[in-house]
Amino acid sequence: MDLIVGADVGGTFTDLVLYDPGSGSVGVHKTPAAGNPAETLVRGLTELCARAGVPAGDVDSLLHGTTIATNAILEHDGAVAAFVTTRGFRDVLHIGRHQRPQHYSVMQDIPWQARPLALRRHRKTVTERIGAPAGEVITPLDEEEMRGVARELRDEGVESVAVGFVNSYLNPAHEVRAREILAEELPEALITCSSELFPQFREFERFTTAAINAFVGPKVARYLVGLEEELTARDMRGRLHLMMSNGGTATVTAACEKPATLLMSGPAAGVLGGRWSGNRAGRSRLITFDMGGTSADIGIITEHGIVEAPARDTWVAGYPLLVPMLDLHTIGAGGGSVAYVDKGGAFRVGPRSAGARPGPACYGLGGDEPTVTDAHVVLGRIDPERFLGGEMVLRRERAEEVVDALGGRLGLGREEAAEGVITVANSNMAGAIRERTVQRGLDSRDFALVAFGGAGPLHAAEVAEILGVPEVVVPPYPGITSAMGLLTTDLRYDAMRTVFMLDSAFDFDRVGADFVTQTAELRERLREDGVAEEDITVSRALDCRYVGQGYELRVAVGDEKLDEAGLREVVEEFHRAHEREYGHCFRGDPVEIVNLRTTAVGRTPKMDDFRGPEPTSVADARLGEGTGLFRIDGRLEEVPVRFFDRLRLPAGAAIPGAAVIFQQDTTVLVPPSWTAEPDEAANLVLKRSSDR
Amino acid sequence: MTSATNSAATRVDPITAAVVAGTLESIADEMAHKLTRMSYSSIIRESEDFGCALLDGQGRQLAESTLSTPLQSGPIPGYVRGVLRRFEELGGAIEPGDVIMHNHSYYGASHGPDVGLIVPVFFAGELVGYSVTTAHHLDIGALSPGSCGIVDAPDAYSEGLQINAIKVYEGGRRNEWVWRMLTDNIRASGLVVGDMEAQIAAARIGASRFLELIERFGLATVQDASEDLLDYSERMLRRRIAELPDGTYEAEGFVDGFLDNPDPRYSKLRVAAAVTVRGEEIHVDLSGTDPQVDLPINMPFVGTVDIAVYVVLRSILLDSAVNEHVPANSGLYRPIHISAPPGTLANPTYPAPVIARFCPGNVLAATIMRALASVMPEQVSAGTGNLKVVAYSGLRDDGSYWVYMDITEGSYGGRHRKDGLDAVDTLYANTRNNPIEDIESHYPLRVERYELRENAAGAGRWRGGQGSIRDIRFLADGGFSMEGDGNVFAPPGLFDGLAGSTGDSRLNPDTDRDVPLPPMSPYRKAAAGDVLRTVSPCGGGYGDPLERDPAAVLADVLDGLVDAESARTGYGVVIDTDARRVDERATKELRAQRATA
Repeated sequence: MDLIVGADVGGTFTDLVLYDPGSGSVGVHKTPAAGNPAETLVRGLTELCARAGVPAGDVDSLLHGTTIATNAILEHDGAVAAFVTTRGFRDVLHIGRHQRPQHYSVMQDIPWQARPLALRRHRKTVTERIGAPAGEVITPLDEEEMRGVARELRDEGVESVAVGFVNSYLNPAHEVRAREILAEELPEALITCSSELFPQFREFERFTTAAINAFVGPKVARYLVGLEEELTARDMRGRLHLMMSNGGTATVTAACEKPATLLMSGPAAGVLGGRWSGNRAGRSRLITFDMGGTSADIGIITEHGIVEAPARDTWVAGYPLLVPMLDLHTIGAGGGSVAYVDKGGAFRVGPRSAGARPGPACYGLGGDEPTVTDAHVVLGRIDPERFLGGEMVLRRERAEEVVDALGGRLGLGREEAAEGVITVANSNMAGAIRERTVQRGLDSRDFALVAFGGAGPLHAAEVAEILGVPEVVVPPYPGITSAMGLLTTDLRYDAMRTVFMLDSAFDFDRVGADFVTQTAELRERLREDGVAEEDITVSRALDCRYVGQGYELRVAVGDEKLDEAGLREVVEEFHRAHEREYGHCFRGDPVEIVNLRTTAVGRTPKMDDFRGPEPTSVADARLGEGTGLFRIDGRLEEVPVRFFDRLRLPAGAAIPGAAVIFQQDTTVLVPPSWTAEPDEAANLVLKRSSDR
Repeated sequence: MTSATNSAATRVDPITAAVVAGTLESIADEMAHKLTRMSYSSIIRESEDFGCALLDGQGRQLAESTLSTPLQSGPIPGYVRGVLRRFEELGGAIEPGDVIMHNHSYYGASHGPDVGLIVPVFFAGELVGYSVTTAHHLDIGALSPGSCGIVDAPDAYSEGLQINAIKVYEGGRRNEWVWRMLTDNIRASGLVVGDMEAQIAAARIGASRFLELIERFGLATVQDASEDLLDYSERMLRRRIAELPDGTYEAEGFVDGFLDNPDPRYSKLRVAAAVTVRGEEIHVDLSGTDPQVDLPINMPFVGTVDIAVYVVLRSILLDSAVNEHVPANSGLYRPIHISAPPGTLANPTYPAPVIARFCPGNVLAATIMRALASVMPEQVSAGTGNLKVVAYSGLRDDGSYWVYMDITEGSYGGRHRKDGLDAVDTLYANTRNNPIEDIESHYPLRVERYELRENAAGAGRWRGGQGSIRDIRFLADGGFSMEGDGNVFAPPGLFDGLAGSTGDSRLNPDTDRDVPLPPMSPYRKAAAGDVLRTVSPCGGGYGDPLERDPAAVLADVLDGLVDAESARTGYGVVIDTDARRVDERATKELRAQRATA
């Protein structure tokens, strides 16, 4: 039996989903994170299999989303790392772009100065120099000096070394040779070359990416090796693949080589889960909206696939990171976001969060500030008896107390204040979505919002309303959508390099040869992973800009070698992309081709069919009725609200708002003028029923 | 104006206020996003030397983009006031479809290279706002190539084109004749005009988003919410000012000026500030500042002096790392009053040249911070190091110009419980450096060194930040000009901290062709092979160095920032270099000895 398991290890819970391709059935399990994450995962996996009545040894494939690298960088708890660079450039990592992250602050800390990835004592320089733009050797690498540096680092006890030479993106020879010497002198250390990771120009960003890799690498390797051992010890010998920031998976070996590509592992899986549900609902243009206790993650999917981040707009924990990744945007808005009136009298919601402890006031765990969750309780949108499937009984009176106090400061009544909390939070989230859609030339009215996470379905319809988004799709298990997303992944590897070429002086042979080399390397890697030739697909793209610009746009190209006509098409498509993105293009201006990109995907077994739980009838699903306060045409009105049990609702049963639909891991809010209807794919689809 | 401190009477409900405020900021950010990505020259796209803002119909700033530099966004209301003044003087009105270009330093512009492009916003025939972008342009047709280091300009006319409220689009129609004149008078005009077009596109996006906001909420609601927003920022600043003890706090600062000029009036120029706190208002009096000179180190009173004052006051009073986010809008100007006698560096009379006003402005900001140090010891830094800006240029084989502007950095002094920031732009500037790999791929220049200085930061309980050393070599014949500061006066220490160190600038260092350069160096030719070195000052120390944690001194020694000898003499800390640890007993003895000495 080829069972597939998705395991998403988060901060509070590890979510697991077991999929049986034979029956199409799915088993889900949530286990609290405690102690060693590898042990937690294996324990959860054992429990999951026991519940499903299958031997753990039958798990053929374990797909894993992990926060191990993310936490290492967020908590600044990584390896003793060193950085070797060109003589004269010891402090590029420290000076950065010489810009202060905050304009108006004397007391701020700068992440790379306050929390260096490699201390200056471990930053060494060697004599060498590569020229630009040709990549010629100006000064050969002084190998003796390099060896001396390697020995110093060995004596200093570093665990991990990154090498970053100026202009190495044009010619990696010196970095490669430095790596060989380091490997000879420090055989135990992880060695990262900036040019091997992703050879893009901009030294601070590329060097930092290499240093992050060096910093998180040893911890990631220890974890993954330990996890493999645990699994083997329990006779679980299936494949272990890791979720990467680029939306694909990688083997343990590949992940250990480029641990910096794991930093968005968790949220990337959420986008995939959202895409899976949205596609099953028949929609291809999607905004994924994953809202939990402290933050909301937003991803965008068009008919061309998941939108990837522009090469230089990616940051992790305040450090720039140049790796291919999905364009994920996180904002500080969640169920635990605190609502307050600041010293100047302004009403604010978040980004500060009450977290899980003490959490919202209604948890009764000592929280005494009103949160988004408290506001929902006051408005009757969360049933205190049914929270988390009844696992935790919320204290309505605590929510009312704190919201009353807030209302007192705002001069608003209890319900008005509560509704205001939701409106401000929704407005913040809609603003963040608008930044990723309307501001990038994507009309949000052509999209459906896929809402998941514990709080996503409570806010989705109202956020959609602000954006003019006509539909909301709520996946079958909103609380474990990321784990479900893991079951839809393929192996994926990326290669890229900077070339700097004008469209008028395009070197067809060189680009052709580079693409062939990149493709061969990626294919070889997939073959080593055991992917059959027919399961491999390769795609190519060029990053282009107008000569002089500093930001590139990506244009897809075909498999065949580019010729004059093909290049003209690329340039034309670039003009169109520029017009779409910025509302403006400059036909006739010279275009510069900056990066070549190749992506290889190796198909792996995944969840292709899915059966949700058996529903019953609308009458049976009906739980009762109450009233709720909604903003209609800008005014607050009290309207009747009906309550339903999601799992019992049959497909095709249209539920007009206002309604609240409960399920174990979330609550779905259907505002007035919206209608909810379960579809055949076990999604709940919300539609705006009347155009205003 | 009535006091707003204790009453938060608002015009719209707090929820609508929050939504409108968030939308305005997001519009300004979208403008910036588009501008950086569409612009051509590295000074905008990499260095981010630009600003974006939305103003209401009265020309008051409602929001600025978070991406951008304070010295660009802050002056925007002044640009609009300048344009209106010009129209009043000569006639002219703002009509729908107009785009107005403006850079006149005596009509509100920050200085000539910072060109503003203004798109008026009309709703139902009424002028309800302005969407404005400003950006530093590579060249504006001054007497020598580039737009910095024009330090030999004798008057405003020699600083480049003076564009005073010129409609480059009129009623929606592009004024081709003006664009032709610009193209003919600006070096590297392809880049510059492309950047101006990008500015217009970004400003137009801001205008259409602003209209969408008005359509969604109604004009009256947006206007009321705007008033609330201005009041809110004002109230936040007043609250903080009110916490300061009333009194007048004075300081003085010095600008290197034109060190090679034999006339002493041109160098070691004095900036004096008396900051009077009364209740919840601040008055900054710059009397005592040196008289204006006929070289371009004078500071436009509107556009540079006012912005230096506003930016530094809000950075210490409403420090964003310590306080709530306070929207940057014109409400923040209300409690602050500035005066400077006409005819001084801080309030020059036309046509005194001003193009190289950056450095004195930053000294002014530092001087105001220093004046307030005694009453805000936990919010200020010890002396900061100033910047240098260099224009590199040359002719390509095809006769076209290449121009590259390199902004170097300064450093901050030590702070309460924190060392100074190393090698960053300081105070009212916050640009980004250009990647070395970008420079080398696009210009005949090679960067040969970019590192921190060692053993040079001001000693203190919290030491000053380290400055940087940057060497750039010409690979082809060309030229350069420079404007800078910090080679004569070391950033002072604070509360018994020691002064930092001066910067430096020279051609062909460590060779027999070594030539020291004054920080204000007019255009000169350079030959292939020449190397220009800029060294930025290191910040002053904060607090007594003998009180510095020996472990922090040890870390600096291990990191090569302080040597063992300086640890002993500067900090009274004895390092056992072989064991790589502090000799605790010897340190105790040495410090005791030093304390009694």
